[in-house]
Amino acid sequence: MSKAKRIQPSEIRPAPRAAGKVLDAQLHLLDRQMLDVDGVPVSTVDDVELSGPEPDERIPESAPAPHITALLTGPVLGTRIFGGRPPSSRLIRIPWRVVAGVDTVITLGVRSDSLDASWVERWLRNHVIARIPGGRHDP
Amino acid sequence: MKRLLGVALGILTAIGGFVDIGDLVTNAVVGSRFGMSLAWVVVIGVVGICLFANMSGRVAAVSGRATFEVIRERMGPRAGLANLGASFLINLMTVTAEIGGIALALQLASGVAYMLWVPFALLAVWLVIWRVKFSIMENVTGLVGLTLVVFAVALFLLKPDWGSLAAQALSPSVPGEESTGTYWYYAIALFGAAMTPYEVFFFSSGAVEERWKVKDLVQSRINVLLGFPLGGFLSLAIAACAAVVLLPAGISVTTLSQVVLPVAQAGGQLALAVLILGIVAATFGAALETTLSSGYTLAQYFGWPWGKFRRPAAASRFHVAMMVVLLAGVAVLATGVDPILVTEYSVVFSAIALPLTYLPILIVANDPQYMGKHVNGRAVNVAGLVYLVIILVASIAAIPLMIASGAGA
Amino acid sequence: MILSDVLGSDVVDHHGQRLGEVSDVRFALDAAPGQLLSGARMVGIVVSPRTASSFLGYERLGLTQPWPVAQLLRWRHRGSFLVLWEDIERMGSQEVALRAGFTAYESTLES
Repeated sequence: MSKAKRIQPSEIRPAPRAAGKVLDAQLHLLDRQMLDVDGVPVSTVDDVELSGPEPDERIPESAPAPHITALLTGPVLGTRIFGGRPPSSRLIRIPWRVVAGVDTVITLGVRSDSLDASWVERWLRNHVIARIPGGRHDP
Repeated sequence: MKRLLGVALGILTAIGGFVDIGDLVTNAVVGSRFGMSLAWVVVIGVVGICLFANMSGRVAAVSGRATFEVIRERMGPRAGLANLGASFLINLMTVTAEIGGIALALQLASGVAYMLWVPFALLAVWLVIWRVKFSIMENVTGLVGLTLVVFAVALFLLKPDWGSLAAQALSPSVPGEESTGTYWYYAIALFGAAMTPYEVFFFSSGAVEERWKVKDLVQSRINVLLGFPLGGFLSLAIAACAAVVLLPAGISVTTLSQVVLPVAQAGGQLALAVLILGIVAATFGAALETTLSSGYTLAQYFGWPWGKFRRPAAASRFHVAMMVVLLAGVAVLATGVDPILVTEYSVVFSAIALPLTYLPILIVANDPQYMGKHVNGRAVNVAGLVYLVIILVASIAAIPLMIASGAGA
Repeated sequence: MILSDVLGSDVVDHHGQRLGEVSDVRFALDAAPGQLLSGARMVGIVVSPRTASSFLGYERLGLTQPWPVAQLLRWRHRGSFLVLWEDIERMGSQEVALRAGFTAYESTLES
């Protein structure tokens, strides 16, 4: 299916200055590693959840801009690559309020054990690794 | 002494890249069929891997990010997944071959059947990954693997016609009995072997394991400039021994016995014993490198905690993944397949993984957000671009040549 | 709404004319201050004329190395522009529709 012919806006103005640090989701957030407060990797940012708007509904004139509610990880990666989206209850969220810094990695202000995102890690640790001798030893 | 052992990472990486079981046999095959007329490919490969390993080591030291994280972040999850799939298959095939290779070398040494050595090799590799510190692992396998230099010693003892060897190398031509298609297939196989992606995955992850920082950039460079040319040198020595002993006699290389023949001929039982020790160490090192690489790539793509510097309990998915890879490798070997044959087909997946690995490295090495003031200089960028073109050509030509030449038959 | 719903969707103007695809969504850390980092408020979307695959961002940052990769990607994304939140009328599962008389801004990021 070929794309419909596109038109270019007649003029492009210089960008308005933003009050705080500016982030582009694809450039600065998506696919970045998340580290917890101790520097332990948690997961990668697979997707981002916004507070709005309602899809396909007309946005009222002076509606406030949506904000990021959470960084998403887990099965949402599969749907991001192949299409579709998992139901909201199945999304693994890292709330934006625990994010401490955005750079080449995303630093969180909490420890990874306190997050849903690392439950597979904990499960394997308790059920597989802990059962093998030497698993808890320092290298 | 610390400085000397500080190059163990480069040496181990190079061993896994240049003289693992697949390359040991391929270099001997090439020497026995083409003489030294493919030596130029090894040289080009060595320069290429030095260039990119240095870049990925620098990225890891300055930004703390290992290569596969960079690949997903730059190329996006889709291309990253394609690379992950291809790299995972390469790693799996290579792990299978290396475990088989350890068993083959031990069979050569002891006469005990190869299949009986396989579970022993599996357990040994896993135990080292599970419990042995990264620095001890690299120092021991790197040092013992260096005994492969006995190939070069044997070459001198054989008193070859240096002039004719040099002529073959400096004015390469396709020997009469071989076809041009086969010549170029082996050229690409040698180039792909020199620049196999798992070398940069391992080297950059090893840089993070060793906690290299900006002050270690010089050490990183020494590792690269010492390790990979050494690997290339060993490759050439193996080919030269085969060229001197096997080529004139028309002996074709089908098993490890033909590979070690020139050394046994030149130096007798002692040289052979040293060589077998070297082969065991090299294949063991390669098994460690590729198993760890499979763990590193999976963990870095999905963002799991990884590294031998962590307790296994603190990197559960990383260790479970590697256990699965090792078990899968042994399962493949249990079907009775020839382990060395397995590596020939990994060339196919290398063709996919090569460009998807090296383009993002070149891009990130230029990104000031990652590198600060340590971005690539002009010359490095020009060289990097030239190599990207070579890599693209090799990756496009690999599969057609493989089909056309019957995988070098 | 999650981001992968929006990234890559077609962008159309008030009359349904296609303008390009959403290649990125821009946020500013100027919302209510949180304990760690401020809230990230959506500033607008970056529309790219030819393709959404601009994860390398060369058209928005001042990077010129490595040549010619940077230049090639810049050329591919020439004509990219930023549309502010206020000018977005509808963000749907298929497309993003802009209001009549929207303003197109430069999409460059200050380094």
